Amino acid sequence: MYWGGSVSQAWTGMRGINDVPSYVIMQPTTLCNLDCSYCYLPLRAHDRRMPVEVAQAVAEAVNVWAGDAPRFSVVWHGGEPLAAGREHLAALMEPFRGVEHHIQTNATLIDDAWCEFFAERDIHIGLSIDGTRELTSQRVLRGGAEAYDRILRGIDTLKRHGLEFAALCVVSDPRPGLAEQLYGFFVELGATVLGVNVEEQEGVNLRSNAHSDDAVRAFWAELTGAWRRDPRVEVREVEWALRYAGATLSGDPDALLPRRHDPIPTIAQDGRVVLLSPELAGFSSPKYGDFASGSVLQTPLARIVADAAAGPTGWIAEYLTGVESCRSVCPYFGFCGGAHAANRFFEQGRFDGTQTQHCRNSKISLLEGVLDHARAA
Amino acid sequence: MPEPRDPLAQRMRALPGLATLLAEAEQTWRDRAASAGCGDSESGKPGWRTFEDAFPTFYEFTNRPR
Repeated sequence: MYWGGSVSQAWTGMRGINDVPSYVIMQPTTLCNLDCSYCYLPLRAHDRRMPVEVAQAVAEAVNVWAGDAPRFSVVWHGGEPLAAGREHLAALMEPFRGVEHHIQTNATLIDDAWCEFFAERDIHIGLSIDGTRELTSQRVLRGGAEAYDRILRGIDTLKRHGLEFAALCVVSDPRPGLAEQLYGFFVELGATVLGVNVEEQEGVNLRSNAHSDDAVRAFWAELTGAWRRDPRVEVREVEWALRYAGATLSGDPDALLPRRHDPIPTIAQDGRVVLLSPELAGFSSPKYGDFASGSVLQTPLARIVADAAAGPTGWIAEYLTGVESCRSVCPYFGFCGGAHAANRFFEQGRFDGTQTQHCRNSKISLLEGVLDHARAA
Repeated sequence: MPEPRDPLAQRMRALPGLATLLAEAEQTWRDRAASAGCGDSESGKPGWRTFEDAFPTFYEFTNRPR
């Protein structure tokens, strides 16, 4: 592995939790019309819709935060958010003021009416597709049929309406020879931004995410080269690594991390609030309970967040201890800010560990792959 | 502020090719900012039509209070 021993630098970011988020994540329904083989969501076969009262309670806090910030995002996630239906989603969005709405969708339900809905509300669209038909074969309908044609049909509809979209791509087997093909696919597809998620072992997805470090580095190096030759699509991972490298060469890498963690409140369909790690929503453990910090139906969201920031307890306190451990031992801390909570829990069963396999795949090998490309170019 | 003993920073500073790659990236960001009417086309800093804009939900690199 790439690290060893203690680290001498004094990174100053990511200490504690901010008492105001920059975005919230909403689960309008637990249902997804797909049944992808790597999905982590436990209730995706059930249509449990968010009551409007939950959205109203969230909006009470969010509208104040949005009024004080240049931008504030409300992210509609899922399940599949479009499975909630236009009428219900509109009712859930209605209480919010001064925010930008984002939807992360599997694209299969997008039609002309949805495009009009997106355009009327200036909604930012992120969709999920893993590349070519073969690479997207794990995205399947209930019953097992490929979702690929439906995904492309939805994307074509977006394009016909002139709506931009970002794309999230899950890579289950990062390896040499894949990234070039993948990047070319997303250029052709017309995505504005590409995020690459190496498959994670979390939630109900128990598949191992252990890979050869050399193969993963080679994947990222190749992706860097493909982007460099034709940088039409923003590539989240590569460009973030380059920002860090640039900050390092200019002598101020410590300025890149936020001072404190964004609390990232995720509001589950029933109003429960999970902070810091959306992937923990809907799960529970004998040791940590349901990971929720409260419910917006009982406690104002602003107070839930402020209390967690002022006096973290339970798994959040343990997580912050884990972040300090990362800070003290990992030379990549300035790049990553500490292993994510869900990866710690689902890989290690606790929050105060340090390096996860996700760290190796998506942070360490990423940065090293970008540097490998620079060295070889 | 990281001390100069930071081994990763030392490796990066000594890496041939990295400065060129970064210069190209900054030009890309300047061009993008100019064409999208956002960001800072002078400094080469990424603008708001960036992946933070596209993926506020995915905090891989975006746990950044704005």
